[in-house]
Amino acid sequence: MRSFSNINPKDLKEAAGILRQKGQTATLVGGGSDALGMVKERLITPDVLVSLKTIRGLDRVTEKGGEVVIGGLITLDALSRDPLIRKNYNVLAEAAGHVGTPQIRNAGTLAGNVCQRPWCWYYRNGFPCYKNGGNTCFSITGENEFHAIFGGGPSFIVHPSDTAVALVALDAKFRIVGAAGERTISAADFFKLPAENPARENVLANDEVLAEIHLPAAKNAARSTYHKEMDREAWTHAVVSVAVVMEMDGQVCKSARVVLGGVAPIPWRVPKVEAMLAGKRITAELAAQAGSAAVEGARPLAKNQYKVPLTQAVVKQTIVTLGA
Amino acid sequence: MTPLKTVGHGTHRVDALQRVTGAAKYTSDIHLPGMLYARVLRSPHPHARIRKIDVSKAMALPGVKAILTHANCDITWSSGDQLNQRRLFNNPVRFAGDPVAAIAAVDRHVAEDATYLIEVDYEVLPFLTDVEEALKPGAVVIHEGGNLSLNNQRQPAPQTYKRGNVADGLKAADHVFEDNFTSAHHNNAQLEMRVSIAAWSGDKLTVHAATQGIANCRTDIARDLKLNVDNVRVISEYMGGGFGNKNQCQDSDLMAAMLAKQAGAPVKLEFTRKEDFVAVHGRWSSRQSYKAGVKNDGTLTAIQMTALTGAGAYRKGSCDLSGTEIYQVPNLETSVSPVYTNTAVAANYRAPAYPQGVFGIESLMDDVAYALKMDPVEFRLKNMTRKFRDQTPYTSIGLEDCIRRGAEKFEWKKRWKPEAGSGTGPVKRGAGMAMGMFGSGLGRSSAVVRLDGQGQYHLYVGVTDIGTAAKTTMGLIAAEELGVPLEKVTVVWGDTDTCPYSVGESGSRTTVQTGMAVIEAVRDLKKQIADKGTPQGTDVLTAMATTNPPPLQGASRNSFAAHFAEVEVNIETGHVIVTRFVSAHDSGRVVNPLTAQSQVQGGAIQGIGMALHEELLYDKRSGQPLNAGYYGARIMTHLDAPLVDVVWVETDEPYGPFGAKTLGEPTIIPTVAAVANAVYNAIGRRVKSLPITRDKILGVLA
Amino acid sequence: MKKISRRKFVEGTSAGIVAVAAIPAVEAQQKQTPASAVNPSVPRTTIKLSVNGVDHRLEVEDRWTLVELLRDHLELTGTKIGCDRGECGACTVLVDGTPLYSCSQLAVWMNGCSIQTVEGLAKNGKLDPLQEAFIEHDAPQCGYCTSGQLMIAKALLMKNARPTRDEVRTAMTGNLCRCSNYNHYVEAVMAVGGKA
Repeated sequence: MRSFSNINPKDLKEAAGILRQKGQTATLVGGGSDALGMVKERLITPDVLVSLKTIRGLDRVTEKGGEVVIGGLITLDALSRDPLIRKNYNVLAEAAGHVGTPQIRNAGTLAGNVCQRPWCWYYRNGFPCYKNGGNTCFSITGENEFHAIFGGGPSFIVHPSDTAVALVALDAKFRIVGAAGERTISAADFFKLPAENPARENVLANDEVLAEIHLPAAKNAARSTYHKEMDREAWTHAVVSVAVVMEMDGQVCKSARVVLGGVAPIPWRVPKVEAMLAGKRITAELAAQAGSAAVEGARPLAKNQYKVPLTQAVVKQTIVTLGA
Repeated sequence: MTPLKTVGHGTHRVDALQRVTGAAKYTSDIHLPGMLYARVLRSPHPHARIRKIDVSKAMALPGVKAILTHANCDITWSSGDQLNQRRLFNNPVRFAGDPVAAIAAVDRHVAEDATYLIEVDYEVLPFLTDVEEALKPGAVVIHEGGNLSLNNQRQPAPQTYKRGNVADGLKAADHVFEDNFTSAHHNNAQLEMRVSIAAWSGDKLTVHAATQGIANCRTDIARDLKLNVDNVRVISEYMGGGFGNKNQCQDSDLMAAMLAKQAGAPVKLEFTRKEDFVAVHGRWSSRQSYKAGVKNDGTLTAIQMTALTGAGAYRKGSCDLSGTEIYQVPNLETSVSPVYTNTAVAANYRAPAYPQGVFGIESLMDDVAYALKMDPVEFRLKNMTRKFRDQTPYTSIGLEDCIRRGAEKFEWKKRWKPEAGSGTGPVKRGAGMAMGMFGSGLGRSSAVVRLDGQGQYHLYVGVTDIGTAAKTTMGLIAAEELGVPLEKVTVVWGDTDTCPYSVGESGSRTTVQTGMAVIEAVRDLKKQIADKGTPQGTDVLTAMATTNPPPLQGASRNSFAAHFAEVEVNIETGHVIVTRFVSAHDSGRVVNPLTAQSQVQGGAIQGIGMALHEELLYDKRSGQPLNAGYYGARIMTHLDAPLVDVVWVETDEPYGPFGAKTLGEPTIIPTVAAVANAVYNAIGRRVKSLPITRDKILGVLA
Repeated sequence: MKKISRRKFVEGTSAGIVAVAAIPAVEAQQKQTPASAVNPSVPRTTIKLSVNGVDHRLEVEDRWTLVELLRDHLELTGTKIGCDRGECGACTVLVDGTPLYSCSQLAVWMNGCSIQTVEGLAKNGKLDPLQEAFIEHDAPQCGYCTSGQLMIAKALLMKNARPTRDEVRTAMTGNLCRCSNYNHYVEAVMAVGGKA
């Protein structure tokens, strides 16, 4: 590895200050798995690693006035096992439990997973694409089997995070700590399409850190699940995934949030499907209609057309299972 | 078959303790005093001429001790190409990953930093990634003589085999079937990355190599570095897998030696995992076209196969295709043309020419069986080989028992459905099977056995044990012949200074060839004991043997297998999982059923990965590999692996040590086809290209 | 530059030998010369950590990974590197009892941590039941992934003494075996489950 120095700031404020001061020469590290891999590949060449590993207190789940607050530095493993999350926000526990492997979940943090850079093979192999500071997306006419069918252009990456999909479905809010101050925005507004800035996947400024995730109070009789299709049984990013949250009244779905992963540069909410489910009894027919509605407007590339029927099937099967 | 006392009983590896305590020293674990670390700079271009290399900045980096490029190191790596002169550093470079320079420095970070300081001026040349493009008129030429590689007789023609007359056979058929199948380049991906340590002492070179054969590695190094073979010592005590990509000597061995010479210090050269995928080699890809003629009763009348195989940038392997020999058919023609492209080199990977060839022929034969409304098992029992190439009797053949007993263990009648694709619901189950065979020739190897005055036997064999338990196997064979328990035999291995020649651990030859040498040496020792009595005190008796049986006349010695797979396919998502697997093997007498079972289960699970996941993918426009590494290759995990049931069909084999035949490589041969045929049975559509990924499944169902 | 304490290392080694009397001793080897020895500008940090019960205070380059520290500077080569990218699991060690990929953690992040490697599995000259079962069931083929498989299995059994077959497979998913001896690995862990 190229030489760098490691800094252990005492809190996020200090971390953000270092990021502001060092600019592009600093890299933020949560669990370290992905950041170190990128340093080893020289996709990034930081002079300074700003490690958050010694910061205390941002690794737990707490209830505050009806809201649930999750520290951004909680490990994915701890999150997936947390009793409160499993009880009321199962979709998040399942999403966290599907990331990588046990060892990756033991190191990886929630904030790190949400902010993970894309796993597009052009980007990861150092092609001079939008994500690497260039001005093209090689997937458009290249090997695009794993690329976006929604929301692409000019970059066609898919967002790699499992937990991000669940958090948008849960209508989470993100508290961000920056060198200049704090701000809170909704999960849905956190992620940005490449049309706005093809080099980045979210609104974080260079000197900002995702500090906490706030989940709204759990609704009565809400149920939720995360389904992830991979091309081996574990240890890959989602080919297609779906997070579904339904507020139930008996067998009737009062309201629903349905968000897709692996199909777009951001967690991809499908409002039409949500509207279809609201106020209805969940049946196989309704689920099938929801599946079809989920892929309306899909614009596949040459080699990812299979993602259209796959998404359709995953949405249908997941709604049937959850509604049953 | 008569049961034996030691051979044939499940026995722990003689080095199992070292393997579970971390005490086993693999090549990468060795550190020599004053040792330097080395890294390789590789071409970023798939095809380019190097105009100029400037190493001055790299050389000036504190800690850098030696740099090799084509300008100061003109060494031919002879086992890197069977036909062309392949150097350690080639100009032009012919694939993205072709070595350009090697750097030795005080530690690996400095060596790596230095690779970024070397300035190379490339003249970028047109390139090819596709075998069919490579054969078009006007295509850029990768090697003198054209992109169609010479055949194994060094003629500019395909590798062919012919018996009977296919045209007549097809005419005599009631039905003619034609189809095309393709398979992908994929990687051996053994856990231990390529690593070599070289140290000079005057004219004498010691190489700690991660090699499948210390003896061949040594003669290769001596030849390529123009050294007397006595001045080369190769040591490989523990080896972290290879599956064929650590045969002979590797370029890393030669580079480490030349760097060590230039630096005047021992050098450890390590490849990264990405380099292991891109710059070593994988199994050659293939495009296979078949025609087959069959009578209404299911009798085969003719098979014709023509194929292109992807050699990559150099001709390191045979690039042949096998598989048709498992059928009895009077008229057969095969023609295989290896083709160069500017992509990763292809060479040996576990049964190099087989699983992809068997995938083709067994997919087609499955289609024939369904078309004739025959049970695939019955079709194979009817048409399976009875004599080698329909002519030469086998020394022993248990193929029919492999099929029958395997089918019984698998519960074929219950699991296979006559109507492919039938069943309700999105998740379809299906069953498939396939057969395979592999040569088990006799050949040269040596062994030394010594009895000391304390009554302990010491067996010297030049094996490295690539995970097959070869050390243990040799110990068991010696113990059996000596009539003593295994504990009385100390096995010494892995060092050309102490061990005699052993055939490399490739071609699944060690048990048979070195095993026979062990038996001969022991027989000699027993004779000496009978003559001179057992040695006392500091006395020893030593016996040695080199066995080199002549090739069998009028008989063919082969191992056989039949594999059975059950899969579940979700026809809406394209998700496939193998839920049940049975491997039935005739490898003659099984020397060590415990470790042999590991081999069979492992071969099958590796083959399932080949069937469903693995392909080294290239970006066509840039000639760059995209998914090198374990994440990209989707290597099988614990959760992907089904339980594999093993059925032993132990034939009474007259040759070989206690009747043992070949095992390691046959374990993967029928696997891929069995899985592919199970997918067909499940969904009623055939995926004709490997790997069988979900996009292809959803594609054929659309 | 502050060198790794020779005294500490000797203590470590001898403790190791006492603990694993029945096991071949790991030969002490000369350490590699780090880049910082020829280039003083390479950032380094002094950390304290415990490895297999032995305390160390040593100076590491900030860029060293944990597995590099273990293998190249503490002579604990039982932990293997199969990919150096967190894609194979061969480098799995326990950090404060939690299994992590030691290729994906910097040594400098381990300040104050307690590390357990394969060399620390045997206690008082006795193999861990997992090691015995791995021998019994022929779990290692080439053996290169074995240390990692042992450590992840150990972590599982510390939390769940009687796992089901599927729990074992799930817990061990982050450990590849290219010899694909998965059946025997699972069989070995199941044989210990409930006894460890």
